[in-house]
Amino acid sequence: MADAFSEASDRSEDDSQDVMTPAELIAKLEQAWLNEKFSPELMESKSEIVECVMEQLTHMEGNLQRVRKGDIKASIHRMEIDRIRFVLSSYLRSRLRKIEKYFPHILEKEKSRAEGDPSFLSPEEFAFAKEYLANTESYLKTVALRHMPPNLQTVDMLKAVPKPCLDSFVFLRVHERQENILVEPETDEQREYAIDLEEGSQHLMRYSTIAPLVASGAVQLI
Amino acid sequence: MFCEKGVELIKELHLLGDGQLSAFNEDGIRQVLDEMKALYEQNQSDVNEAKSEGKSELIPTIKFRHTCLLRNQRCVAAYLYDRLLRIRALRWEYGSVLPASIRFHMCAEELEWFNQYKKSLAMYMRSLGGEEGLDITQDMKPPKSLYIEVRCLKDHGEFEIDDGTIILLKKNSQHFLPRWKCEQLIRQGVLEHVIS
Amino acid sequence: MDPSEVEFLAEKEMVTIISNFSLDKMYLIGGDLGPFNPGLPVNVPLWLALNLKQRQKCRIVPPEWMDVEKLEEIREQERKEETFTPIPNPHYMELTKLLLNHASDNIPKADEIRTLVKDIWDTRVAKLRLSADSFISQLEAHAKLDNLTLMEINTTRTFLLDSLNSMYKLRASLQPQPAAKGHHY
Repeated sequence: MADAFSEASDRSEDDSQDVMTPAELIAKLEQAWLNEKFSPELMESKSEIVECVMEQLTHMEGNLQRVRKGDIKASIHRMEIDRIRFVLSSYLRSRLRKIEKYFPHILEKEKSRAEGDPSFLSPEEFAFAKEYLANTESYLKTVALRHMPPNLQTVDMLKAVPKPCLDSFVFLRVHERQENILVEPETDEQREYAIDLEEGSQHLMRYSTIAPLVASGAVQLI
Repeated sequence: MFCEKGVELIKELHLLGDGQLSAFNEDGIRQVLDEMKALYEQNQSDVNEAKSEGKSELIPTIKFRHTCLLRNQRCVAAYLYDRLLRIRALRWEYGSVLPASIRFHMCAEELEWFNQYKKSLAMYMRSLGGEEGLDITQDMKPPKSLYIEVRCLKDHGEFEIDDGTIILLKKNSQHFLPRWKCEQLIRQGVLEHVIS
Repeated sequence: MDPSEVEFLAEKEMVTIISNFSLDKMYLIGGDLGPFNPGLPVNVPLWLALNLKQRQKCRIVPPEWMDVEKLEEIREQERKEETFTPIPNPHYMELTKLLLNHASDNIPKADEIRTLVKDIWDTRVAKLRLSADSFISQLEAHAKLDNLTLMEINTTRTFLLDSLNSMYKLRASLQPQPAAKGHHY
């Protein structure tokens, strides 16, 4: 029974070159969760993290089946599983909510994505977004638009549904030092200025200023 | 005044609290659509007249009516879309079966939209990870690994807690159980939380 | 962010416990734990410490900083300085609350500690309100927030961000060019 869990800490198959321990994987999931929670726009899809975490959970659940019931060890594993599943679900929920909120813009971005560029949607999310758009368009058409004058029977969803506001302010913590980040002035009387982001420091500023740094992992939204 | 009915639809939404749904205002929508039909027909005949008789003084009126048409279209779409957002939220609050009192307020097409939404969501959740998928409508709150003391109010029989221990819930017996396992039984009146 | 989620993150902080049972080393997904031996200290995440404590399987050793003298010093420093002073733990508030609520018998002078931490918190949150106020009224574009904890940020997050975004929209609508003519419906 002691061995039932010992393999849990290695990846079940050591196939990938980027050797990530399960602990690092969970840390990555938590970073993605907070970034997704606080960023005004949908972040790049982290399908591989989601898949690996699901794999870990399934593996651990499987091991738990074989364990003597009522064992203290089992209850500790159970609690950890519950915690990880919460983060994973909450992360996926944040994403789905944004997809529902901004679906026309997200689908448009996906359409114009160059081949080889990373996708913002996982295949499941892409399918969901397309269905959500079709369902909503067909609903509006059936209930109202088809009863309107011929020149008014369509609504441009891209114009009708608000875009994410990338100028929103966000809180962030710096993981990797950055120099010369240009801060745009808020009013005509102010001038733009450059700041350095020291490792470990925390800031409040516009998301648009540091969006690429969130994507690269150099800063973490908090 | 033009567009009054359309604006009324929007006002109706503003009066509702978050997450509430009032009866689908079919009559209001029809009145807006009727006004649109009238505006459009007047415009059609004025456009013809302006063209055939060169009456350019009609153009400002035509433009005005067209603006009203656009505004009406926008009001109706806003009304319908806002209701969809509320209906969507209900799926997360009540699960896939809505209480009859809420369904009663929805029109047939809204119910259809809701059913399709349910299907898309279920399909999405099933396709997550392995074969079993992941139900992300669960685990809405962070788990609390805490235990509470409970007293059994009636005989309930055997009960398995998460670590697999089986306990006997017998009337008047007291137990120390994970809170998340007891919440439902407390609501059902099987257990009561002993506050020491 | 819901405060319960900040607390959830705080529960990852490691604390020392003295268990009264023995258990081999455990391999959790998030890292290894143990081994547990009766009477010997071992580091575990707070969520586990609280659970074991509740099941009377351990005694929790208070974190080093959770000490009346140390906290008094921090309180004085915090009251003296205008800026936010470095705090001994990024989750000091949640840790205090959780440990005092569920393991107060393991924390010497629990009541004094509760009061001291509340004083420190109040002083810091008052400073935070002042700086948020000046940030908004000065129309600043950037603020450095070193030493602020997540729970502190969270107390002002919604209010501050909503105000900033509303003011931004108001200013944008004052601009001559018709900015953002999106048909919101």
